[in-house]
Amino acid sequence: MRQTHQLTGADTVCRVKGARLSGQSEPQDIVVQHGKFAACDIVETLDRQHLIDIDASNCLILPGLIDLYSRCREPGLTRKGNIASESVAALSAGFTHVMCTPDTVPAVDSVATVELINHRSDKVQGGASIIPMAAMTVALQGEQLSELATLQAAGCPVASQADVPIDSTTVLYSAMEYASSFDMPLLLTARDSQLGIDGCAHAGAMATQLGLPTIPVAAETVALSRIIEICRETHCAVHISRVSSSRAVKQIHEAKQAGLPITCDVGIHHLFYVDELVAGYDAAFHSQVPFRSHEDRQALRDGLSTGVIDAICSDHAPQDIDAALAPFPVTEPGLSAYDWFIPLMLQVPEVTELTLAQVVEKLSDAPSGILGFSTPEPFAIGSSASFIVLDEQATITPENVQALSAGLNNPLTSHDASSLGLAPLKGKVSAAVHSGWLTQFGQDTAE
Amino acid sequence: MSLVDPQFNKAGTLQHFIDLQGLDAEILKRILDTAEGFAGINDRKVKQVPLLRGKTVANLFFENSTRTRTAFELAAKRLSADILNVDLVTSSTSKGESLLDTLRVLESLQCDMFIVRHGDSGAAHFIARHVAPEINIINGGDGQHSHPTQGMLDMFTIRRHKGDFSNLIVVIIGDIKHSRVARSDIAALTTLGAGEVRVVGPKTLMPADVESMGVVVYPTLDKALHGADVIMGLRLQKERMTNATVPSSGEFYRTFGLSPKRLALAKPDALIMHPGPTNRGVEIAGSVADGKQSVILEQVTYGIAVRMAVMSMIMGNSDAMNAQTRASNETSAAEVTS
Repeated sequence: MRQTHQLTGADTVCRVKGARLSGQSEPQDIVVQHGKFAACDIVETLDRQHLIDIDASNCLILPGLIDLYSRCREPGLTRKGNIASESVAALSAGFTHVMCTPDTVPAVDSVATVELINHRSDKVQGGASIIPMAAMTVALQGEQLSELATLQAAGCPVASQADVPIDSTTVLYSAMEYASSFDMPLLLTARDSQLGIDGCAHAGAMATQLGLPTIPVAAETVALSRIIEICRETHCAVHISRVSSSRAVKQIHEAKQAGLPITCDVGIHHLFYVDELVAGYDAAFHSQVPFRSHEDRQALRDGLSTGVIDAICSDHAPQDIDAALAPFPVTEPGLSAYDWFIPLMLQVPEVTELTLAQVVEKLSDAPSGILGFSTPEPFAIGSSASFIVLDEQATITPENVQALSAGLNNPLTSHDASSLGLAPLKGKVSAAVHSGWLTQFGQDTAE
Repeated sequence: MSLVDPQFNKAGTLQHFIDLQGLDAEILKRILDTAEGFAGINDRKVKQVPLLRGKTVANLFFENSTRTRTAFELAAKRLSADILNVDLVTSSTSKGESLLDTLRVLESLQCDMFIVRHGDSGAAHFIARHVAPEINIINGGDGQHSHPTQGMLDMFTIRRHKGDFSNLIVVIIGDIKHSRVARSDIAALTTLGAGEVRVVGPKTLMPADVESMGVVVYPTLDKALHGADVIMGLRLQKERMTNATVPSSGEFYRTFGLSPKRLALAKPDALIMHPGPTNRGVEIAGSVADGKQSVILEQVTYGIAVRMAVMSMIMGNSDAMNAQTRASNETSAAEVTS
């Protein structure tokens, strides 16, 4: 399935031939030595044995993508996935950097847990870098603040409550004030701690027909109003994760117009799926942030086009088989995104006003800015090489898809793309260079 | 777009009875006609027919219920089946065993039919999808979703009194949002072509986009009752008062309770129905529940005939399907040997 080569230690050089860079028309060669971009002519001086050539003549070269919301399930929930499996799956989805949620067991509220995640991420050969978010409160219980400055220094760029709603407005206010003292952005999900808390589907005709407990739009907008109003006073940088409704997009638009430091993203599946898909109690569409109406989906697409929505995330949630073997309301929510991410990403231009280059920006430059990462000039000689080789034309089917995530819980494993209103699925990452490793996907393993 | 309806087998006949949504008028009428045949059995000396002799029916109740369980038990006995009551409320599931594991254990008991009641919407669908193919599932109520035998016995009661459905104005009062009975009644009434199905209740008890189910929402009970042929009450759970859905049972009665005075707004021969147990003085006045227009106890009685009809139909379909499979297996085996 996958072949990896270390590009740092030995004098191995990788040359990607005939690469088409996003936004450029002329193909060119890219050379990587010691994990950094190098001048093309060094190849001439090299022993052929040390040169790995990759034919990229039909491929597009993209910067490594950054995922703003993903679950690696480690530590503590490794029956669903782990850092090794999910970082490799993430790289095959084009992500070189993955923000993983702090809702692990234990939660990411101590330096020890941060170091464990960093250590295990570093050990993976040819995977994405897994970067933990700090738990905003101790054990995500919404009462006592975690040591945010310490966790920030340990390598957490943001703090978050993951999908655990915070009850106390006082604690939320305090967290926003405190985090802003250290310029630490908060990544928050707009979900009320009580309204619709037992719900599992959008409050609409489908949930009514199926008798499912619902999550009304107000559960999102009420929570969002509270965040916006506190932001107005604290000026804490806030990123709203996975906006789901038309009214929430409108609220964020107004907050941005008022000059508040607010950004937001949308989960990739929310650009395509709607509440009707849970018909027949189809647990494949049980999402933590529910799929809502056609009108809501259109507002998310429009918001992405106009820039009200800054970024796209995967909302990757691998589950074990048992998670779906229960009546719908008690199935564990979430879609495993990575194995099918690229074909969906390539269809975003078809449902929005964005070009592919702009979609890529929503998955690279935009998250980078939100997280406060420094962005070097792309492909500058001497800078760290981190990019993906994308074969846009590869046809993807359930038979040939690379199932690298431990979670098989994606609707596309059991539904035809056309039955979900999608175009035929195309596109895969054929190779990626990141962190001193070259990974080739769809190759026999050499390990 | 949606999953295949798990109620039907490969031959297109009913294998399970889970949900009235998705069943056409022909099937519903066939159930009612079959039930007519069983309704007379109470008047016979021997109140039993041998249709399910040698079959074992298991009542799997994950939620407390006396009425529904007893009605199914009696129906099974009148069909000469062996009946097994499995109390699951306090058993395996509360010890952390998964529903699927419980199901596998019960399958090993070699029963032919499971009657399932469960607190989660979609539980019967889930069980039907995962149960061994030779077992039939009847939904005895799943969460807020469906209670199809209650829906059918309500239709049976209405048809006995009113005949045709097409000119009927039916009013359903109260907690539509949390009621599986309401959903099944609405599905059956709209499929059978009822003239108008009205729903009325406080907005806290009305589900989102309820009109999409083919009903008309009325603002007040007085307006809804005007010209009604059938009035259906629903049980209001006590927890609705404690979780801020309704302020008090007293206020509910004053606004949406079926009082003798309000009853006068309906047609003089309007039927009063309720799935029981009734909260007197909350949903309905005692004098109305006991009055001459009330058919509440008839509903209970007809419940046995309707459940006999459903059980025998499902089991008959299944036996026919199995016989067909056996025959085709034998034919193909004969072809191989020749």
